[in-house]
Amino acid sequence: MNKILDLRFVIGVFFTIVGLLLLVYSLTSSGETSQSINQWCGIVFAAFGVFMIILSFMKDADDELTGTGH
Amino acid sequence: MNLELIDYLIIGIYFLFVVGIGFLLKRRIKTSNDFLMSNRSIPLWITSLAFISANLGAQEVLGMAANGAKYGLYTAHFYWLGAAFAMVFLGIYMMPFYYGSKARSVPEYLKLRFDEKTRTFNAITFAAMTVFSSGVSLYALAMLMQVILGWDFNVSIWAAAGIVLIYTYLGGLTSAVYNEVLQFFLIVLGIAPLVYLGLQQAGGWEGIVANVDDAKLHLWKGMDNAANNPMGVDAFGMIFGLGFVLAFGYWCTDFLVVQRAMISRNLNEAQRTPIIAAVPKILMPMIVILPGIIILALQTQSAAFDLPLTQNGEPNYNMVLPKLLEQLYPSGILGVGITALIASFMSGMAGNVTAFNTVWTFDIYQSHIKRNASEKHYLNVGKATTVVGILISIATAYVARGFNSIMDLLQLVFSFVNAPLFATFFLGMFWKRTTGHGAFWGLVSGTAAAAITHGLTVAEGKGGWIANLHTFYSGTGQAFNIAWIAFVVCFVVTVVVSLVTKPKHKEELIGLVYSLTPKQHDPAKRWYKNPLWLGIVVLIITVILNIIFY
Repeated sequence: MNKILDLRFVIGVFFTIVGLLLLVYSLTSSGETSQSINQWCGIVFAAFGVFMIILSFMKDADDELTGTGH
Repeated sequence: MNLELIDYLIIGIYFLFVVGIGFLLKRRIKTSNDFLMSNRSIPLWITSLAFISANLGAQEVLGMAANGAKYGLYTAHFYWLGAAFAMVFLGIYMMPFYYGSKARSVPEYLKLRFDEKTRTFNAITFAAMTVFSSGVSLYALAMLMQVILGWDFNVSIWAAAGIVLIYTYLGGLTSAVYNEVLQFFLIVLGIAPLVYLGLQQAGGWEGIVANVDDAKLHLWKGMDNAANNPMGVDAFGMIFGLGFVLAFGYWCTDFLVVQRAMISRNLNEAQRTPIIAAVPKILMPMIVILPGIIILALQTQSAAFDLPLTQNGEPNYNMVLPKLLEQLYPSGILGVGITALIASFMSGMAGNVTAFNTVWTFDIYQSHIKRNASEKHYLNVGKATTVVGILISIATAYVARGFNSIMDLLQLVFSFVNAPLFATFFLGMFWKRTTGHGAFWGLVSGTAAAAITHGLTVAEGKGGWIANLHTFYSGTGQAFNIAWIAFVVCFVVTVVVSLVTKPKHKEELIGLVYSLTPKQHDPAKRWYKNPLWLGIVVLIITVILNIIFY
């Protein structure tokens, strides 16, 4: 439960899903330009999403959204 | 603009996430402090991004792209002159008083420093301003969705308002702030590919230089006279009006943005919040202004990039971003771009509603209607205020639809109130002799001076409702000049009235006034944790940008 309250994790999951959607769509859509744009954006979004997820596992709890007030 | 299933899917996933964040945070909300102030527990990176995201509303994203096309690179003054310096000043000099005084809002600081009437004046005008701004944001969103996607006006209004209501009602300020961070990344990553594709099609920066009027590709050239630059502003109006009065008035006193720093975990992080936020802020012109310049270059290549005309027959600059999205984005990434636009509207609306909540509950309800009630009572008031704030926003959106000029008038009146505010705070924090009576009458007279100046001057057919003593080259120039006149009047009246009225005892002003507050020293602090050094780095970068794009 704590992990899904970590904003880095939430943002990471969001961009990973959107990135993968764009990648899958680029494989099924027609038009070279459209495919290329969606493919590159999909890769960048998914990479950013994975980076945020990894970050949420690496940093200490102090940086998490789940931390209580000081 | 036709959306396909993939685009709707992306919009749907975004809605699911923003509402989901509200549900996830619901269990953390137990007191009014949790709901309205996030219990001062938010990490630095989140407060910093939320700080600029609260400002990254519809007016910013659509409006700055529009100004980019209308005024060119001069629009970057809103960032490199009208933001960075004020944000650094807020972090280094003003935040210690906001945060250190334990005030829960900017109006409450005015109560501690001056008196109840000054706080109430600021609280009422601010509450009205935020809730109406929220409504205007909602109206603009619905109009945009109607024009570019053919969505029904009513459905757009109720759906957007409903989603903002769910996540702010459930998770309070924390939910709004977390969503602002998600929205920040979405806006940046959703629009950045548009800038890349536009630049590529325009032939890179060289293509822009070759095809766009040189007068629109400078920051300071032609500033010797208002007639010599597309913005119609001279250097004095720009530096004193925008760079000093308006910028410091907004970034240093507007609770909507200051609130994001006030929920930090400690004073050092509260100080660093606006300074760290200044870094993405000074890079933001690449995302929000450059599209406006790019479209000017693309218009020389193809008529497909021509903007629709307004009723006056002028180009509708507000359509710059939608036009670029339509022409450059295929389905898929188009869904991301549209979602980014929706996110900017919702971000602006939620920011206004949460600031309205806090000020209404603490500065009006608790102060004037029911003192000393239980925590649970104020939590319920805060939640009820969220619903009321959203309902007023919806009503405002419908009023704006029928009477557009009334909304223009309201926005204008609010700008009169904002213009002199920085003089009040500046004197209050740095001159211990300033009194409550001085602050109150300074604010009232500064607001009146702003209104009278507008009534005596004309720009683009607006103003001059008393007499036309002077005509400005542009509405922007008029606004900058009204701002500095209001500031000077407020400053002078505050000083004069303060000198003839009795000030507070020094003991009452410790922690509220610069000269009476012990300076904090932390020898173990590293340079990147020191607000002063961070601020200097930000200012050096800002000055370099001003020189490069002179």
